[in-house]
Amino acid sequence: MQDIRIKDLPPPHGGKLVERVVRDPQMAWKLMEKCSAVYDIKPTLHYKTGAPIRNVYREIMSVCYGFFSPVEGSMTKAELESVLDRRRLLSGWVFPYPILFDISEEDFKKLGVGPGDWLLLRLKGEPFAILEIEEVYEIDPFDVATRTFGTPEKNPEVVKVPFDDKHTGYVIYKSFNKIILAGKYTIINEPKIRPPFDRFWYPPKKAREEFKRRGWTTVIAHQTRNVPHTGHEALMKMAAYIGDIKPCDGIVVNAIIGAKRIGDFPDEAIVEAHEMLHLAGYIKPERHMVTFTLWDMRYGNPIESLLHAVIRQNMGISWHMFGRDHAALGEYYDIYATQILWSKGIPSFGFDAPPYAVPGGFYIRPQNIAEFWYCPKCKEFAYSENCNHKGIYSRYSGSFIRGLLNEGLTPPPEIYRPEVYKVVVKWWKEFGYPFNNEKYLREREERLEVDLPHMDMPEHLKKKIS
Amino acid sequence: MAKYFAIIIDEKRFAAIKGTSLEEKIEPIFGGALKRLVIEVPDELGQKTIEQFSKARFDARGFIEETPAAFKRLVFKKIVELKSLSPEVLEKALEELPSIKEEIEKEDRELPVPDVDISDILELQRNPVQKPTQ
Repeated sequence: MQDIRIKDLPPPHGGKLVERVVRDPQMAWKLMEKCSAVYDIKPTLHYKTGAPIRNVYREIMSVCYGFFSPVEGSMTKAELESVLDRRRLLSGWVFPYPILFDISEEDFKKLGVGPGDWLLLRLKGEPFAILEIEEVYEIDPFDVATRTFGTPEKNPEVVKVPFDDKHTGYVIYKSFNKIILAGKYTIINEPKIRPPFDRFWYPPKKAREEFKRRGWTTVIAHQTRNVPHTGHEALMKMAAYIGDIKPCDGIVVNAIIGAKRIGDFPDEAIVEAHEMLHLAGYIKPERHMVTFTLWDMRYGNPIESLLHAVIRQNMGISWHMFGRDHAALGEYYDIYATQILWSKGIPSFGFDAPPYAVPGGFYIRPQNIAEFWYCPKCKEFAYSENCNHKGIYSRYSGSFIRGLLNEGLTPPPEIYRPEVYKVVVKWWKEFGYPFNNEKYLREREERLEVDLPHMDMPEHLKKKIS
Repeated sequence: MAKYFAIIIDEKRFAAIKGTSLEEKIEPIFGGALKRLVIEVPDELGQKTIEQFSKARFDARGFIEETPAAFKRLVFKKIVELKSLSPEVLEKALEELPSIKEEIEKEDRELPVPDVDISDILELQRNPVQKPTQ
């Protein structure tokens, strides 16, 4: 008889985990000696307001620690076109987003680099990574932004209205510099993750080691950019009933940490609020792990779900929860666009079948969930496909909850666990504001999520700085 | 498609409408843990409303959300004045938007921290299960 138990974690996307982090200082020095120029990483600024909306260092971290395997660096022109046209790398593996190192014309001229040169990238004034320049080319940021997210004409299955400047992800690509330096990244000075993020740092290799240590072979991922309300908690618990001969061993929350839109919760509150679910006993810590990935969220709903699959499969996760409005913002996409993708595919985005059923696709499987709401008659956080008490149940809405906080009202326990609300208050006290505002985003961009140990540089590079 | 604008009714707001026809229109939500009044507005007016505020949006339920608290206070004031939940309430509130401009700007910078004792969660956090391993 066939044994239906799942005994191993899924393989990394692309077959092998990328790990491009040099931890030997002598090797780092040798690599720096090959560099011909130094560049201090700058945040991407909103093309109209000048507010920081992205920092490429987060992408470098996610590439080098293997979250984005098999991607190894900034994409070449051919790779970019392949991703935009059919959401595939040139190797054929599914990948949704352009990963690019963009630079202003002025900076490019100052550097005087070209294909074949190595560029030392500094962060917070210290050596951080190396970019092996393979190609230099120009993009039209508007074109990249439009093709990344789709249009109602070209992607009528799920795109409802044209993207505009109210969409954070669209604006990120629109604000890119025109010049792209393509090539592999290597981190040569491993950053220290700052608290409170440090205890949630599980890059794919380490996540897989931790799962093995815990004896987990069946793991389900929960994507988050939010403080969890009771509906999220119900979703996590219920979705985890999938498994083999028993429910999943582990529930892994993977928070997306980076610049986000004004009005979202600060990342510090997000990770600690999720952690509070196990500290306060709502999910046993033996079954629950909070982790994060550095990425300036693009809010690309079905497109973003593909990146989530890449990240979480690389971490060793077998299933992924996809709810309504997954990683969405506004009404640009159908609210079930991600579930459409993961149940039958979206041909106009290059998927005639679901992403787990196409060549170069995923081992990770979707767990498409409709909705949880609070039903006083069921006396539970009820699943929408079960509960039939129309007019009695109340639907959750993150925006509604943020509105309550804005008005100074305490969300009732039917919405937030009291301990989760108190985590929000803790960071509200710290930052003087419960949500991301311009001040928080500006200060956050200076602080980042990492500190860099001091590292000396070869003389020829020091001269380049002065 | 119609859009909706909800005002949460706390004790103070309830006192202002007690005994009026509006009291009957209060809807309990989340099993009565919260109460609200709902204004149904045409799509166009909904759109016009969200365009006034950078963060405002329609949520998945079709509600206009993330408008400033100062605007919600103004809408409630108009509800009481007009004793109505008609779209006119929102139109009148939008007309008076310039009068609360400063309040809205201030709200983007600061919101008073609730007076809540958080010592119990700080105690829980003192010994986290997940520890830094770097």
